[in-house]
Amino acid sequence: MNCDEFKLRIDDLLDGRLSAAEAREAEVHLERCPDCAAELAETVGLAARIAELPRTLEPERDPWPGIAARLAEDRVARGRFGRRELAVAASILLAAAAVIGAYLIGRQQALTASAPAAAPAAGAVEAEALLASFDALGVLDYATTRQALLEVLERRREQLAPETFALVMANLELIEESMARIATALGADPGNELLQRQLVTAYRRQVDLLERAARLPSRV
Amino acid sequence: MAASREAGIGVPGLVARAAAGDVQAFEELYRANVGRVYALCLRMAGDRHLAEELVQESFVRAWQKLPSFRGASAFSTWLHRVTVNVVLGHRRSAASRARGSALPEAAEPEPAASAVNPGEAIDLERAIGALPDRAREVFVLHDVEGFRHEEIARLTGIAVGTSKAQLHRARRILRKALAP
Repeated sequence: MNCDEFKLRIDDLLDGRLSAAEAREAEVHLERCPDCAAELAETVGLAARIAELPRTLEPERDPWPGIAARLAEDRVARGRFGRRELAVAASILLAAAAVIGAYLIGRQQALTASAPAAAPAAGAVEAEALLASFDALGVLDYATTRQALLEVLERRREQLAPETFALVMANLELIEESMARIATALGADPGNELLQRQLVTAYRRQVDLLERAARLPSRV
Repeated sequence: MAASREAGIGVPGLVARAAAGDVQAFEELYRANVGRVYALCLRMAGDRHLAEELVQESFVRAWQKLPSFRGASAFSTWLHRVTVNVVLGHRRSAASRARGSALPEAAEPEPAASAVNPGEAIDLERAIGALPDRAREVFVLHDVEGFRHEEIARLTGIAVGTSKAQLHRARRILRKALAP
């Protein structure tokens, strides 16, 4: 075996893929070739360093909010809800409706208020940060579109099965929770393009969910 | 995750709940596995932002496929395979979009001198990230993740000989990059 032949087989030698006869030929070559012996030693050293690489690395930003937003849409599309979840969703029906009502009233008051308001609650600050983020992204019709669809949904509430309405509300909350978390992360890192894309994607999914919910057939 | 284990739920219980649509259970599985999935995505993609997108895509894909998970292997092993397929699928899509304008595979350029500079104490992770795309994929799958050349060939659609050649190339570049 010469140097070229050895170099062609060095990986097979290291990975244990040479036959016994080929391995013996390689050993004979190594005994008389310091260059190839040095190359083998470097490759063995590399393997040792690779073996010490950590098995886990933590991303700088938590991808979960974006994942949760996509799961919410998937759950609606696939109808992946268990009985326990249906019960939970039904139990939060009133709370969800109250959230929507408060949101609509809050937006209306914010638009018409002429005097400075008292210090906003933490949730309101988060919502405003979210809206500010959308303004910065050029999605200026977010509040208008969302509000219009919520009003349609609220008007159709009596036409829909309670379970259906509850599921829509539960997923709307899930998406909004994700959006709030993304908005919070954006507050700390306003120029992050991945987060911006996640926020816009979550917005589109929220609007898509509302549009589909608004078109759901009435119960018989 | 620790709380669930203390409560006696464990991974199989979380998998069953997640497969039935329980997002909280799936988030626990995510928390327990995101570090390993991210490491795989980062090393194969060689780009932090792309790796984060691939992590997201991998977990969404896992969520969608979870009802078909039969437990023949550990959940983490199954998730690992899902992630590999997502990363390779992304590369195939990117290559398809760039077809006609990209360099052919064999002409994939070597890393720039600034990325692999002999004599400097270059970090191994950075050196892996600077490898040419195909060489990096084969190297990570074989040397870091323990896949065999036959598996890599099947997953990536290249010949076994090509996989071996790309591994040899990657190791050669890394030896050069890490030489004192």
